[in-house]
Amino acid sequence: MTPLRRHRALTRIWASDPGWKGWFTTVNHTDLGRMFMFTAMIFFVVGGILAMLIRAQLATPRSAFMGPEVYAQVFTMHGTIMMFLFAIPLIEGIAIYLLPKMLGARDLAFPRLTAFGYWCYVFGGSMLLFAMLTGLAPDSGWFLYPPLSSTLGSPGINSDFWLIGITFVEISAICAAVEITVTILRFRAPGMSLDKMPIFAWYMLVVALMILTGFPPLILGSVLLELERAFGWPFFQVAEGGDSLLWQHLFWLFGHPEVYIIFLPAAGIISTVLPVMARTTLMGYGWVVAAAVALGVLSFGIWVHHMFTTGIPHMALAFFSAASTLVAVPTAVQIFAWIGTIWKGKPQLKLPMLWILAFFATFVIGGLTGVMLAVVPFNWQAHDTHFVVAHLHYVLIGGFVFPVLAGLYYWLPHLTGRRRFFRLGEPAFWLVFVGFHVTFLAMHWVGLLGQRRRTFTYEHGQGWEAINLISSIGGFITAIGFALVLIDIAINALVTLRGRRNPWGAGTLEWAMPKPVPAYNFASLPPVRGREPLYDDPGLDLRIARGEGYLGDPGDGRRKTLVVDIASGRPEQVVVFPSNTALPIVMALVTGVAFLGVLIKAFWLVPLAVLGVAALAFRWVWSLGTRTDEGLLDAGHGLSLPLASASTRPPGWWGTAFLLVANATFFASLLFGYAFLWTVAPNWPPPAYLEPGLAGPALGLAGIVLAPLGLRLAERLLRAGHAMTPGLAIALTGAAATASAGVLAVLASADPQGHAYDAIVRVIAGYVLIHVVLAAAMSVYLAARRSAGFVSPDRYGEVRIVRLWTDYAAITALLGLAALHLPGALT
Amino acid sequence: MRDVLRVFGPFSVWFACFSAVYGLHGLVCSERWSAAGLSLWDGRLALLAACIAAVSIQVGVALMLRAPRLAASSGFTQSVSLWLGWAAVVATLWSLFPVVVTSTCT
Repeated sequence: MTPLRRHRALTRIWASDPGWKGWFTTVNHTDLGRMFMFTAMIFFVVGGILAMLIRAQLATPRSAFMGPEVYAQVFTMHGTIMMFLFAIPLIEGIAIYLLPKMLGARDLAFPRLTAFGYWCYVFGGSMLLFAMLTGLAPDSGWFLYPPLSSTLGSPGINSDFWLIGITFVEISAICAAVEITVTILRFRAPGMSLDKMPIFAWYMLVVALMILTGFPPLILGSVLLELERAFGWPFFQVAEGGDSLLWQHLFWLFGHPEVYIIFLPAAGIISTVLPVMARTTLMGYGWVVAAAVALGVLSFGIWVHHMFTTGIPHMALAFFSAASTLVAVPTAVQIFAWIGTIWKGKPQLKLPMLWILAFFATFVIGGLTGVMLAVVPFNWQAHDTHFVVAHLHYVLIGGFVFPVLAGLYYWLPHLTGRRRFFRLGEPAFWLVFVGFHVTFLAMHWVGLLGQRRRTFTYEHGQGWEAINLISSIGGFITAIGFALVLIDIAINALVTLRGRRNPWGAGTLEWAMPKPVPAYNFASLPPVRGREPLYDDPGLDLRIARGEGYLGDPGDGRRKTLVVDIASGRPEQVVVFPSNTALPIVMALVTGVAFLGVLIKAFWLVPLAVLGVAALAFRWVWSLGTRTDEGLLDAGHGLSLPLASASTRPPGWWGTAFLLVANATFFASLLFGYAFLWTVAPNWPPPAYLEPGLAGPALGLAGIVLAPLGLRLAERLLRAGHAMTPGLAIALTGAAATASAGVLAVLASADPQGHAYDAIVRVIAGYVLIHVVLAAAMSVYLAARRSAGFVSPDRYGEVRIVRLWTDYAAITALLGLAALHLPGALT
Repeated sequence: MRDVLRVFGPFSVWFACFSAVYGLHGLVCSERWSAAGLSLWDGRLALLAACIAAVSIQVGVALMLRAPRLAASSGFTQSVSLWLGWAAVVATLWSLFPVVVTSTCT
């Protein structure tokens, strides 16, 4: 088969639907990555306009440009948009677009999940934009502290928009994180062992795991605050046994890692782009990997440094101050590795390199002011002043936006298939760089002089006037610079000439494909022998096109790629991807109806929407797998591999496992919240603890034992060629027993509006009930799959997935029962 | 998966130990502690014991990473996880150092 015929055949298989329909049915990572990035840029423009409104307001004292109510909405939406609707989705977009190409795969692990995540992001973000345009935007600051954000301080719907909209958007982040983790671990080119992975993939692996463990505390906080606002369950009300500090803990358990979730991908971009610009390889690859991992995990241990002024004891202050200073070490390791890379190479001052140099200058200053803020006495003086605002912009713009712009210009020929011709980017760079430092250096100064953040105006004669005016002028120069960057990118994307395949002479696999990028990425999957495949094997791109890699035969018209062993990159399975479908957008819409029901207090909508989501999820998973045992498939190079659906741990098992990591973090955060209130909150103990009795714990324990055992028996029966019914019946009986224990706990608890304890009992019992019902539904689904022929003695991967869920439900039920009944039993 | 766990394990253990000691500190400084008839001196001892346990666990993890039975599949992940193992020991010593030098609950 000639390369052209192979290209046509593969394009027929992998292409999105033509015309406008393709926008809504595409599951292709190239399309969705671009859509994520484009949408994030729109939000960046909105957030940027809000920033200019803030600077216009603060340019002069006693400004009448905005009143305090509007100003509160503007700064809240600026922070919210930039953090949740611009930075994180842009990272997701970049990773979604690049990772399969860098790793040598044809798509991400779960293409429909990518699309579902995108539409959740669009609908959740649209909710917040709608709120802003109708004057109902959140107004309690981007970290929404209660009681300011509870019904006491914010009786309208404003805070609800934040809680509902952001939680909806976070579904998108969790989907992307599961997707990215499984893709990096299992969807790589044959031979790409962990030590040969592109450095960007290491960074994104760390980031994806951080999203899975960093976002759930905030999702929990949002659920609790919404329950308080909607039903009066007093998790954050001191008089009823709650504590507003609980929100701060949950928020910053998310919020601090979030800063590194934003920074680390940018660092990954630098570690990828800088060596190419310096015409060398990255110095200290192993050290950089170790530093990224250390930084990612350390960032979780410093959440309380945002709470230094809340009156916590000296020892706790010292713990978090010490831990905060620790992060300087792995950050410095990376900085020195990059400087060493420049030192050993022959750097070229192209536009991406300019942005990287701007990153160095800016981020190092931001990092040093971060170390200053980690020191408690200084923090007490600077807390909630513009010094902190200046610091965080140095870190986030210097540490994220500048490297991303370096990356954007670096991968622009890849994204557009065109060479850069118009040179607006260089003057734009200088405008942004100079404007930024004028704005935020000045802001440090005014902060040290005492100007508080989030205050809509200030008086004459405080010595802040000139500094604020300078800062605002700098802000507008920066905005003009960013506008020019966007114009530069747009015209270079639309009207310039076609470019070469690998214009920078880079060594990573994304440059091995023709431009514009084909829907299938690689005509055949490249065997990889080194960290820079195109340097190690200069003719690789041509051999890929000639079909000399793996899966080069378009064959039966199915979308196929390889699954490899995590450590060695040895090919293990062939996976068949689903084709184009509108299911993700429909499911996101129906999910949105559930969120909307809570938002507008039309609670009857919620169960209907949940049923709709369940029906769609059923349809979603039903379409996977095969009804026949296909045996081994030819993967090329004389290799025969089984289908993923015929393996014990198909990609779905890994996806489930990582989703459960996020879920377990959510549950652990809930138990932490309970323990926090029990230990610290005033007005404890509650009037009465739950009386355990005998029936509830006995039923619960019986169910916890029976359900996992039943599933194991079902698997054993299946593999022996018998009916699974007895095992599934035992599992369902177990689930029913555990569910009964949960219901009994709810019935025995007192009015949840009366005390935070009773409210948290309901939440824990509800959590256990939901998971037990889900596990039971999966067992029923398994029986249906068996009778329809999708599950067989050779294809029992789905049983393993249900087992995983059932085991998880049993473990959480055990912990939940202990949490519910021990306090009552011990007192 | 073992290689990935080796790389992410040491600092995850650091975070677990650090959070546990912080949680214990919260308990020592709460009314629950005094209601159970325990003094601040008992609290300091408990924190010291927790601190020693945390350092021991972290050293144990670092040593375990050298065990041939748990060896990584490549020299790269073996080295990276060993660096991280010892770095996590230093991180534990540094971040829990306040237990011996600061007042407990003021």
